[in-house]
Amino acid sequence: MNHEELWQAVLAQIQLNISQANFATWFKNTRILGEKEEEVIISVPNSFAKEWLENKYNKLIFKILHSLDEEIKGIKYEIGKTGLKVFKKSSLPILETDQLEFPEFKIDKETNLNPRYTFENFVVGPFNELPQAAAWAATKNPGLVYNPLFIYGGVGLGKTHLLQAIGNEIVKNFPKRRVKYIPCEKFTSGIINSIRNHSVESFKSKYRAIDILIIDDVQFLAGKEKTQEEFFHIFNALYEKNKQIILSSDRSPKAIPALAERLRSRFEGGMIADISLPDFETRIAILKTKAREKRVDFSDEVFSYIATKIRKNIRELEGALNRLIAHQKLKKQLPDIETTKKLLKKIIISPVKITTPKKIIQAVAGFYDLKERDLQNSSRKKEIVKPRQIAMYLLRETLKCSYPFIGRRFGGRDHTTAIHAHGKILKELEKDENLREEINLIRQRVLSV
Amino acid sequence: MKLKILQNKLKKGLSIVERISVKSLTLPILNNILIKAEKNFLNLSSTDLEIGIKWWGLAKIEKEGVIVVPVRVFSNFIGLLPEKPINLKVEKQTLIIESEKYSTKIKGFNPEEFPIIPQITEGESIVIDGPSFCQGLNQVIQIPILSSARPEISGIYFSFQKDLIKIVATDSFRLGEKKLFLRKTLPLHREYSLILPQKAAKEIINIFSEKEEKLKIYFSANQILFESLMEETSHPEIRLISRLIEGEYPDYQAIFPKKSETQIILKKNEFLNQLRTASLFASKMNEVRLKTDIKKGEIEIFSQNPDLGEYRSFLPGKISGKEIEVSFNYRFLVDGLLNIKSSEVLFELNGEEGPSILKPVADPSYIYLVMPIKGT
Repeated sequence: MNHEELWQAVLAQIQLNISQANFATWFKNTRILGEKEEEVIISVPNSFAKEWLENKYNKLIFKILHSLDEEIKGIKYEIGKTGLKVFKKSSLPILETDQLEFPEFKIDKETNLNPRYTFENFVVGPFNELPQAAAWAATKNPGLVYNPLFIYGGVGLGKTHLLQAIGNEIVKNFPKRRVKYIPCEKFTSGIINSIRNHSVESFKSKYRAIDILIIDDVQFLAGKEKTQEEFFHIFNALYEKNKQIILSSDRSPKAIPALAERLRSRFEGGMIADISLPDFETRIAILKTKAREKRVDFSDEVFSYIATKIRKNIRELEGALNRLIAHQKLKKQLPDIETTKKLLKKIIISPVKITTPKKIIQAVAGFYDLKERDLQNSSRKKEIVKPRQIAMYLLRETLKCSYPFIGRRFGGRDHTTAIHAHGKILKELEKDENLREEINLIRQRVLSV
Repeated sequence: MKLKILQNKLKKGLSIVERISVKSLTLPILNNILIKAEKNFLNLSSTDLEIGIKWWGLAKIEKEGVIVVPVRVFSNFIGLLPEKPINLKVEKQTLIIESEKYSTKIKGFNPEEFPIIPQITEGESIVIDGPSFCQGLNQVIQIPILSSARPEISGIYFSFQKDLIKIVATDSFRLGEKKLFLRKTLPLHREYSLILPQKAAKEIINIFSEKEEKLKIYFSANQILFESLMEETSHPEIRLISRLIEGEYPDYQAIFPKKSETQIILKKNEFLNQLRTASLFASKMNEVRLKTDIKKGEIEIFSQNPDLGEYRSFLPGKISGKEIEVSFNYRFLVDGLLNIKSSEVLFELNGEEGPSILKPVADPSYIYLVMPIKGT
């Protein structure tokens, strides 16, 4: 007989001995927690029930328990969790007013998930079909398929949305599993704090108890050795127990610099899916979904104008839409195509930022976790030579700098060095997929520096 | 049981324990109080299985004993008796009440059926000033709303630190935080954070705010106990024990805006009056619109109701920062202002959709945050 059956048997007998009212009041939400040295531990919902069972019904309960299992020599009562939390998922009453709430309160404290992100409002197109399908599969069977699930893609393409949607869906499908979403930065600062407070063990055990761990932006692990080490142990502990792990990054595991090899290989061990850039039709679909969410509608002409002008970032699409909505509210009329052009001029032109050699060098150094000085001094270490060559290549390609200028920029090198670097990268680009990706990411960074 | 006690003393005791006793269909005994005679004290107890209250009063005990009687009839009857000593006697589960010209019998119940009120036997305890604690609690008590969806914010959040007690309440539209700065540090080994049900907090204010007494608080994992002593002797007079709400209180510090876009200093009473007049014309949503005019140094208060008409008034104030036009539920503003004691109030705004802050000028102990209504 397991604990549940044993307790059921006890309850079945007790209800014959006491009044219905007493039974309903004192035995609601009770159960057997476990056994310890011939003592049965019974969980009760509150201290009133504890006092009552201990003082009034202890003999009766013990007699029945003992008759069912002779090894039981005693009973202990403990106040456990009440059933209060079960109601939590009953949806909040939707208020018909426009009274605003504190936005932070919508985020579930335990899971860190924002209920705004769901699969329903995630627009699927050819560019994100694969990650979406993998994510969906993971929500049906967490831990058993695609573990770990690694999703990567550029900024503003919906990684966070997808990750949080997985979390929310799992909470919905399996309310008992413990889900935790955490941005990598927070995880790192958690580890640092726990080291300072000498509580690394309790920090780790907290994470080991999680059923579904979702970490956003793992590229920030780069170069943080202690964090990587602790994360490695947590990862292993969870993975061994078939707990689902979901990670996101702005680049593939291979392209994350200064990442311990054992972590990299683990990241690659499950399913890797990348989100690329949305095509025109998907961009229109996204705009229309967002517009519906915000309860506005614009002409198709306006939508297609935005979609042709903003290609690389969904967040920017939303920004453009917000601008139009603000305009509409102010002027109380729908913007036509001409006003749209005028309104969006600023956003659309701004991506063509002026790039300078300094920015490129900064971005390259930042990407490979080096110092700008390293690129400019005379070191010939392999891990510095390649970034240096990439920086030279980018200076030549994006800014059309002269070779002698590039040479001077990198600690007074000869112009032939610059020519060699440019040629070498150009050649490698033809056959090396990873390198192409790296350079694309660096280009993005240059624009965002 | 046989004892003699003064009428006004018994009446006072009943007024303390009777309020939480409730009608319960599953457990009718909860609608009763437990009367117990022990040593030199008469002891009254009542409970709703969330809160338990015990009261003791000095009495001349001739024979110890115990009985359970219906609370309303007993309390109403004692309240009507003259201010003379009363004799209480129990015979065969019946309570016999005798006073000068009265002789009454109330049918009682078996005391064995009455719930046992738990005690806190171990853990830390502190002693604080009762009235100032209750006053602080009173400044936020009205804010929470009962919600089964978010049990953790339906209660009052407390944080007990060595030299500071924080009392916080919210209904997710507004939030009040009261800080009690203590002159004497508390002998605590660690910080205690807990969520107390609103009902228990209301009882605490009712029971302890008028007593110029020290309030002792005992902490334990799932319960909290408040205790005050008798004036005459060091025996406890009142003990209130309450269950705590499980769950983690939201990280409310994250809501506090780091800086504000517009700052306004207003005369509190004038602001309150104008809001109240504006409320007469407010729509169903209680919407009142505020608009700054930095040049003139005043804010415009505006409300309208399609059926009634519209209202407009102007209030002088010291305004700095950005011009702003923003709507609020007037009730939320009024609630906040009523809990501010200073004559001038600082109103910090953060655009049309960001949280605003109301706080007394030159008093860091109280902060009231409120979210606007989305502009129409």
